[in-house]
Amino acid sequence: MTAVLSAPPAAATEEGGLLLTVAGVEEAAPGIRTVTLRRPGGGLLPAYPPGSHLVLSCGDRRNAYSLTGDGMAAPEYRISVLLCPDGDGGSAFVHALQVGDAVVAAGPRSAFAPVSTARHHLLVAGGIGVTPMLSHARAAARWGRSFELFYGHRPGAGAHRAELADVCGPRLRAFEQAAGLLDALGAALADQPMGTHVYVCGPAPLMAFVEETAAGLGWPGDRVHAERFSAADLDPGEPFVARLARSGGRVPVPAGVSLLAALEAAGVAVPSMCRQGVCGECRLTVTAGRPLHRDLYLSPPEHASGDAVMCCVSRSLDDELELDL
Amino acid sequence: MGALHTSVPRWPAEIPAVDPAGRAVALLAFGAAGKRLLTAWRAAVPERTPVWSHVVDRADDDSLGLLARQVAEARVGWRLMLAGPEVDVLAARSVAIGLGVLDAEIRMVVTGAARKRVFCPHCRGTTETAAPVAAEVPCAGCGRRLHVYGHVSRRLGAYLGFMADAEEVA
Repeated sequence: MTAVLSAPPAAATEEGGLLLTVAGVEEAAPGIRTVTLRRPGGGLLPAYPPGSHLVLSCGDRRNAYSLTGDGMAAPEYRISVLLCPDGDGGSAFVHALQVGDAVVAAGPRSAFAPVSTARHHLLVAGGIGVTPMLSHARAAARWGRSFELFYGHRPGAGAHRAELADVCGPRLRAFEQAAGLLDALGAALADQPMGTHVYVCGPAPLMAFVEETAAGLGWPGDRVHAERFSAADLDPGEPFVARLARSGGRVPVPAGVSLLAALEAAGVAVPSMCRQGVCGECRLTVTAGRPLHRDLYLSPPEHASGDAVMCCVSRSLDDELELDL
Repeated sequence: MGALHTSVPRWPAEIPAVDPAGRAVALLAFGAAGKRLLTAWRAAVPERTPVWSHVVDRADDDSLGLLARQVAEARVGWRLMLAGPEVDVLAARSVAIGLGVLDAEIRMVVTGAARKRVFCPHCRGTTETAAPVAAEVPCAGCGRRLHVYGHVSRRLGAYLGFMADAEEVA
């Protein structure tokens, strides 16, 4: 799965930055390109928890792409990217890569790891959302964890179907019709052993179906894990003032301008990446005032406590929000 | 240990209601006071929701085995409610979370906290005692004098003990 990010390109020297070479490109399915990346001089790449993503510098953007391996340290990273002609250009950049090209990446970053205490893992993938699930399935198979994968895709467009059949055996249930997938998922969610966790990545309607069906069947939110594409389109919001507790500054945030953008314009450096309330990079500590949370990163209890704000999307309920800056 | 940082549970005075989101409910009560709570919960479970309900004297191998078998049969959507003395409720919760049950699926009421189990990290035995935190008890496993520390393990359902005179010259 992809998240399109609009931050400046990573410098190759950035901490955790990786200079990589394209070692292979192949078509995983119509419109889906699998790219294999290696260190220019060879050697192992950092290990990662299953479900992690690699942040790739794609021209003037940075995009996060799920790594599809089992997470063990290996000489290659693989990503699979769906070409989105109407997107922001990240997928076109990846699709134009040729063997031998150099790319800059940061990460891997983990935001969708399997729960170590789960008794059973129910994996749900829709379309290109299969990429983190391939990672989960490989790791689960490697470590002997109990799991099952439900995979819905368009007829003939199932990326990684053959590999998944190999990895999962009878634990793979593939569907070429949405109705068949949803019926089977509804039945599965109604009858899972205690201790099961469900993970879903795919189109918004699939994610909503899993979350709503699970909630209706008494699944606590802690058992339901969704890898989101991006936050929903957000309204411009009300203007407010950010008060900087430590430096004593006051930064006005007009409607339509994010708190992050206003801070940057005022010369306050805040680490950021996705700018969509997903990645967790731009978290700021709130010392007074009530944040208006619009991110997908903080948990409901963290939202309720009001002592942190993801400044790329969230705003303020009060006229002033005091930050630990 | 400062009161702000202790992991000794502070049990709410309020009695929790049956979670209306549960598709099946298991009620387990220890002793007479626990039984009264269980009876009230049982009456509050929605009519069509399956209920598993047991009143036992204490959390021992038999009653904890009974609970473990119930968790093994349960499907996600199941809820657990525990009532009784802290020592029994902690032991039952320990079994449940060890089998993958989440805090969000467990509701508890403690009817008394006189008894506790103390874990000995030296021999890994557990001693049941009526001693308060900061008192000393002999370990039932290895005989060491254990200082009862203000730390409770959710996983073990026991207080931590440690050798009271570990740093004295023998």
